[in-house]
Amino acid sequence: MKSTLQVLNELERDGVIERYAIGGAMGATFYVEPLLTFDLDVFVILPGTAGNLLSLTPLYEALRARGYTEEGECVLIEGVPVQFIPAYNSLLEEALRKARETLYEDLSTKVVRAEHLIAICLQTGRDKDRERVRIFYDQAELDMDFLAGVLQRHGLEGKWKQWTP
Amino acid sequence: MDTLKPEIARLFAAKEARRRKLAVLSFPEKVRAVVCLQEMAAPVLRARGRKVRVWKLDDRVA
Repeated sequence: MKSTLQVLNELERDGVIERYAIGGAMGATFYVEPLLTFDLDVFVILPGTAGNLLSLTPLYEALRARGYTEEGECVLIEGVPVQFIPAYNSLLEEALRKARETLYEDLSTKVVRAEHLIAICLQTGRDKDRERVRIFYDQAELDMDFLAGVLQRHGLEGKWKQWTP
Repeated sequence: MDTLKPEIARLFAAKEARRRKLAVLSFPEKVRAVVCLQEMAAPVLRARGRKVRVWKLDDRVA
């Protein structure tokens, strides 16, 4: 995992990606109990593509050049299947820009804030997202003012009220 | 509505307490826990025909 994150940092340093942050189940796991997942979801802003064409081709080519192969929707990086998800709307762009800098052992990495992960779940709206929101609500330490701002900016207050007690 | 017997309610409460305890582990500890979950779940999922890969951690011998 550390080697995987190291590769992500290198991709960012080399300008292949403008910014990345861990999301999905592993992002959630940062804040709550460990959740079973087999993919590492990584949100990315690609250089020169904010709000425009979202092509992962240059990123995949850079990874292939480093010897990492695609496996279905993922790229296997140092033993971990990584799924890259380009920021496809304003919520994801904001989530990436405000992602939390943290350490994995002695390595710097970025994780999407819990409040943004909740908003992404609300926006995605699947059954498993609903369950994840419940887990966040029960276990995560949330900044309720920050969350209120995110929900208001992205029109998700109604869904939040619907999904929480 | 049926009410839970006190001993069952205690079991559920203990389960919740354990989940909260797990929630405050460090990130690397949680990643190790996820890999343990993967090791437990993988044979079941593979038997159902799903292709899954257990992550390789740098500090664990494969």
